[in-house]
Amino acid sequence: MSNFIFGRYLPGHSWIHQMSPQSKLLLSFYFVIIIFFANNLISYGILSILILIVILLSGISIMYFLKGIRPLIWLIIFTVLLQILFSSGGRVLWHFGPFSVTNESLINGGFIFMRFLLIIMISTVLTLTTTPLAIADGVQTILKPLKKVKFPVDTLALMLSIALRFVPTLMDEMETIMNAQRARGVDFGSGSLKHRVKAAVPLLVPLFTGAINHAENLSTAMEARGFSDSEHRTKYRQYRWQVKDTISWLFFLAIGAVVIFIRK
Amino acid sequence: MDTAISLNKVTHTYQANTPFAQNAIDNVTLQISKGSFTTIIGHTGSGKSTLVQHINALLKPTEGHLEVLGRVIDPNTTNKNLKAFRKHVGMVFQFPEKQLFEETVLKDIMFGPKNYGVNDGEAKKSAFNAMELVGLDKALADKSPFDLSGGQMRRVAIAGVLAMNPEILILDEPTAGLDPRGHQEIMDLARYLNKNKQMTIVLITHQMDDVIDYATNVIVMDKGKVVKVGSPAQVFSDPKWVYGMQLDLPSSAEFAQQLKKAGVNIGQLPLTIDALADRIVRLVGKGDTK
Repeated sequence: MSNFIFGRYLPGHSWIHQMSPQSKLLLSFYFVIIIFFANNLISYGILSILILIVILLSGISIMYFLKGIRPLIWLIIFTVLLQILFSSGGRVLWHFGPFSVTNESLINGGFIFMRFLLIIMISTVLTLTTTPLAIADGVQTILKPLKKVKFPVDTLALMLSIALRFVPTLMDEMETIMNAQRARGVDFGSGSLKHRVKAAVPLLVPLFTGAINHAENLSTAMEARGFSDSEHRTKYRQYRWQVKDTISWLFFLAIGAVVIFIRK
Repeated sequence: MDTAISLNKVTHTYQANTPFAQNAIDNVTLQISKGSFTTIIGHTGSGKSTLVQHINALLKPTEGHLEVLGRVIDPNTTNKNLKAFRKHVGMVFQFPEKQLFEETVLKDIMFGPKNYGVNDGEAKKSAFNAMELVGLDKALADKSPFDLSGGQMRRVAIAGVLAMNPEILILDEPTAGLDPRGHQEIMDLARYLNKNKQMTIVLITHQMDDVIDYATNVIVMDKGKVVKVGSPAQVFSDPKWVYGMQLDLPSSAEFAQQLKKAGVNIGQLPLTIDALADRIVRLVGKGDTK
């Protein structure tokens, strides 16, 4: 668990850290779209180099980064295997019952692998360089136009930031409860499936009770301080669009144009 | 006295090989003898909780090894067969009421023993024994633990650990958030278990008065290292050093310090209320307050 870096924030002052969250969010989203436009080796090569540059600019050690996304690689490999075994078209290289491997499915599998990898990498860079609160803020800024149609953007952003803020708290709590039950003889993560499901009860009941208690305490605390969602709220931290954002966008847009241009 | 727990150059690094890596405990070597009442003190973040979690193999050392009741735990210890070992080391965490989950108080207390393969009848017997030890009314046995008061929930949780009849009992700030009476009762229970059931007690506390009133041994930790081991009298003999560790003196010694500052010749620092009272009576009796 401790090696798992997806969803964690690493403090820093790099170029990527300094970009505004709304621009980073949109840029990641844009990058994902571009990935789906790429359909040949050169374009995937270009995108891979781009993501490497981004990682280097973020100041995160590549070794740490790769180690962190390793647990997810298995998930991707599994998906890719399914894709290779069940897709059809092209010259059949090997088949067994319902499974067949064709030259096209192999190439497609490779591309799907690259797609997943690139998407995971860009989103990991995003979360590693942006605090959860900044992400919630970015979402709020992006959704602002929806206010025109009476969509409760501020409330949604508040819910999001509260949810994100309690992730580490609940993780800690889970750790403590697991330890307490281990000390009472529970064996997590071993034995039959039935045994494992049974072992989850002493973990989940206290975890949910705790979460509900937290929610109740938090709402009392907010009400006690006069919180109301109809109020117009100003922000302590303001994330403004910066020159760095513009430069990054121009660079990404140019790459996007190239990728679409060399599309087969 | 035999040694119950012995640590040999134990280091534990959280999140090793990441930018978050930090030594929670650093090269700790110490012994805790069987039947002792040992307290571990030190300011927040000094590594007390990390240290005691090793005794139950909930954490394994990153370097070094420890031996608990004849079983060695080192960095290569696997998670298999730890259950049989954990049975002998009861652990009461901070706010242990968080671990409650069963439908009834009795079932929750029986949970531990049953996990260790004790049959229903035996588990029930030790559960009722444990309830009596912690002072829970038998009438509560069939109630939901979530309907009880905070203090009662704490007792249920402690009973759940005691029902396993451990040889070593680790208590991590067991009285945090309790009223003075609840505090006293739980501390007296710890003393009772130590004296009458020969349990080895390891207590983490921030209450210096408890150290004086209950402990036979004290371990002082600072920044992940053990900085002093000794009897309560030895540890509190140097007030300056104690304050330097961001700790307090027991209240009687604190009071005597104030008297000293006001110019009263109190002599050696009294560590218990009784000693302080004696000292004052003697001074007043002689009539030489100055």
